[in-house]
Amino acid sequence: MFGADTFHTAMAEIVVGTMVLATVCAVGCASIRYIPVSGDKKESLMVTMDKASIAGATMALVFMPIAIMSGNFAAENTVGNALLYNKFVYSGLALGFWAAFVVGRIRMGPGLWEVRPLAMLQSSTAVMAFLMTTMASSIGGKLVRGESMFDILPIWFPSESAVVLPIWASAVLMVVGLAALFVVFRMAPSTERITLD
Amino acid sequence: MSRTLVIASVVALLMLSSSSVANPGGNGDSDRDYTCGGSCHGDPSLSLPSDGTISISQEGDVFAGHAVAIHVNVAGMSLSSNRLLGTFILGSMDGNADHPEDHGWHVIQDPNGGSSNYVETVVPSSGSVTLSWVLLAPDEAGVHNLFAQIHHGAEPNYDGKAYSGSSRGYSIDVMPVPEGLPGLSPDWTAPAYRSSGNDDPLEIRTVNTTSLSVQWMLEGEWSPHNAEVSSNCDESEVCNKWEAQIPATMGDTRIQYQITVQNGSFSMELPWLTMGTSPAPFEGDIWDARVQSFAFAFLILSFIVSLQIRFSPWDGKHELDQTQEVVESEAPPPPPGMEEDAPAEDDEYWSRLVHSEDNPGWLWDPVEEEWVADPNFQGGDQ
Repeated sequence: MFGADTFHTAMAEIVVGTMVLATVCAVGCASIRYIPVSGDKKESLMVTMDKASIAGATMALVFMPIAIMSGNFAAENTVGNALLYNKFVYSGLALGFWAAFVVGRIRMGPGLWEVRPLAMLQSSTAVMAFLMTTMASSIGGKLVRGESMFDILPIWFPSESAVVLPIWASAVLMVVGLAALFVVFRMAPSTERITLD
Repeated sequence: MSRTLVIASVVALLMLSSSSVANPGGNGDSDRDYTCGGSCHGDPSLSLPSDGTISISQEGDVFAGHAVAIHVNVAGMSLSSNRLLGTFILGSMDGNADHPEDHGWHVIQDPNGGSSNYVETVVPSSGSVTLSWVLLAPDEAGVHNLFAQIHHGAEPNYDGKAYSGSSRGYSIDVMPVPEGLPGLSPDWTAPAYRSSGNDDPLEIRTVNTTSLSVQWMLEGEWSPHNAEVSSNCDESEVCNKWEAQIPATMGDTRIQYQITVQNGSFSMELPWLTMGTSPAPFEGDIWDARVQSFAFAFLILSFIVSLQIRFSPWDGKHELDQTQEVVESEAPPPPPGMEEDAPAEDDEYWSRLVHSEDNPGWLWDPVEEEWVADPNFQGGDQ
């Protein structure tokens, strides 16, 4: 048998691997017009990267709750320091960004890459999701080994201290978030799939 | 060409992972045997002899079961760029089960404030460092040996090997305890840290003690202060549980304190101990984290989806956009003479009207079959 921490590490590695694929392909789709390849190859490359990005993001989205739950068990359902607290917060942010990426791609179809503002938004969402997921994973490395790949990169989000909202404030924010979701999915004009020219 | 590039990249990444062996950043303080089953510490194929010198000394006489400060001086060794040195204090050179605890010693405090037999330290630019362990001597009187071993890196270190060195055995004559000699309790370990702002009294457990005093000073200070000490026992009675009031510390302040225990004519001044300051206990709990996490997830999702709707080139969007109608309905009428020209359908309407000689000032609409007042008629002059 193996412990919850080993299982959590395996799940986190799947999430990180798939989201790297999704992010690279999403950025590639958004910048396809700048890639110097011929028209036919460009179209083929575009279709491949689009499918890879949605497949990677969907897989990350499926495995992320498993990774979060196994992380809960690995932490024995306690949050004893700011690093662990921030791991939860960054995981939530990553979940939000990945869900938005997948929802956007499914609702609007592969044609969204043809609309420049949408392509920029979608690739930015993927990059933000990448950063949030990487940050959550790196905090895991900090907790277990005291070091992470972010140590050698010029990027590091705040993690040593945490902004702990009172639970009532978090609950209010969650209700606001749910209400906002209801508005954008039920009351706002629904988006249509964008057909490719 | 591109396939070759991909294969070369993968091979380069694999080679990069295999080149980062050992633990050049250290493994942290802990209780360790020096040679644990062929690790790089003891494996001759993975290590080279250190060029440093190690010396051990003690402070004062040593009585069985009583505290003693053991100083390990390490000097003259090559170091890696991070100047990290790992130092063990050991009870034997057997290779395993060599922790001092396995040989009757008890670690009260290590040089970094913890209670480990292995510590890592950054060597100052002088190239020499003295590390002090406060130990309780074994209960059996006689000659006991202690050893120190080190490992470190070097710059340059082309083979990526650890440099290891060990001292000769340092013999300590542990004397039998005189009747009633006071000292620290063997089940007491000096706390390594106290949380920031915590001014709870420091609990000290002793043996054969009728009176206890504590002096403290901040690290770097020279003149110690007396701490207020209390116990629940009467004077002259042996009491082994004491509380010393040492002021609270903040930030990364380290405080040093020295305990003096007395019993009749015996007065034992124990080695200086160090206590660091740890951050205040974290206040968040698991449900705070979970709820905050999901709140952020929902807010981010709704925000990005609303942006997607905003940027979406959906045709039906204009049908729902009533902005122009509202603006037009709320706009004031144009002033007289500034009215816009009639639309084209008005021109068509007026062109079909027929003048009549019989009814001046009126026009005949053949479609509606009705008379319409002529707006251009000016009395009978026309």
